[in-house]
Amino acid sequence: MKKNAFLFLWALLTSFAAMAQSGLPEVDKSPMDMCYYPAQYPNLKTQDRKTDPLTARVIYSRPKKEGRQVFGGLVEYGKLWRLGANEATEIEFYRPVIIGGKKIVKGRYTLYAIVNENSWTFIINKETDVWGSFKYSQAKDAVRIDVPVQALKESIESLVMNFEKENQTIKLVVAWENVKVALPISL
Amino acid sequence: MIKQFSILVLLACLSFRCDQKEKEAPEAEKAVIPDTVKNQQPDKSVNPYASVDVSPMDMSYFPVDYPKLKMANANIPPPVVRLIYSRPHLQRRHLFNGILKYDEAWRLGANEASEITFYKPVSIQGKKIPAGRYILYGIPHIDKWTIILNSNIDSWGLKQDSTKDAGRFDVSILTSDISLEYFTMVFEKTETGADLVIAWADIVARLPITL
Repeated sequence: MKKNAFLFLWALLTSFAAMAQSGLPEVDKSPMDMCYYPAQYPNLKTQDRKTDPLTARVIYSRPKKEGRQVFGGLVEYGKLWRLGANEATEIEFYRPVIIGGKKIVKGRYTLYAIVNENSWTFIINKETDVWGSFKYSQAKDAVRIDVPVQALKESIESLVMNFEKENQTIKLVVAWENVKVALPISL
Repeated sequence: MIKQFSILVLLACLSFRCDQKEKEAPEAEKAVIPDTVKNQQPDKSVNPYASVDVSPMDMSYFPVDYPKLKMANANIPPPVVRLIYSRPHLQRRHLFNGILKYDEAWRLGANEASEITFYKPVSIQGKKIPAGRYILYGIPHIDKWTIILNSNIDSWGLKQDSTKDAGRFDVSILTSDISLEYFTMVFEKTETGADLVIAWADIVARLPITL
């Protein structure tokens, strides 16, 4: 048993060493992920299943809590947060949508948030292909919308985003630690 | 002896529970994914919305690290190309004895089809590629790889529709003395543009892109 554990560790270490030697990028600590509306769209499309029309996609990186206090700690209240890690979180609309009463034309945008204890401000911004929120400019905002915070009973380790549909409204659900918020998107 | 027995029982229970879980998976998630196996360092916590993928997604730009370059220089011209792909890992398997098969199409990634976006027209092996979004897949052969651009975007990587191929390119392969645990795709600058470097285990293929 001990020998196996040792072999496993050795294999792990040598693989990391190989990665470092090759000069090619290692796997990110906060791995990237993707979600679509309709949920699972690529999978369903490839199975020739009928779905709602393709509407939106988010590409984001997923930091972990790793024992830290996230909201009010790692993510400071009242300050701009990149809602992810590494490359700025990207939201793409495949058709025009309405957010916060404002018409948003189809295309790629970046997504940020200002987090507070009881509400979040989602920010959709026109500057794409950027890193984090370090050069964020409010002049390029497409829309801002305030949404209430919902408390979760169970703590979520990795930041997660997922599209859901309730009545005729699509919601981008964002959850991390003990908090869940939903960005409403109308067609 | 008793200890060994109890471990066996525990393992049996665990495997039974795993089986049950698979049966409960929704239809859409049932697709067989031969190039992913259980992660050795997963985020094991409960996540009711979306668990973290075994094969994490990643992104490569050319110019390399474009978003960081843009952070340093707001007036930089638009990027040339962006690639989004998922990164399966070997996990003690052999690339051509368990994961890939010679002469069979492979999605060059995992999960969603790997996606490549050209922000401007480029040329590959003399063929003009209009700006736009494509998916990428490949066919590994024993002495070369075929790299394929296809227009069936927003699809899952397991089933390719070759009627939508936008270009097929044969590239030679090299064997490296370093073995990569994770499947890796990056761009490297060349005199005429950039190479898309495709590397996994000890195999390296390069697709030259001319600007």
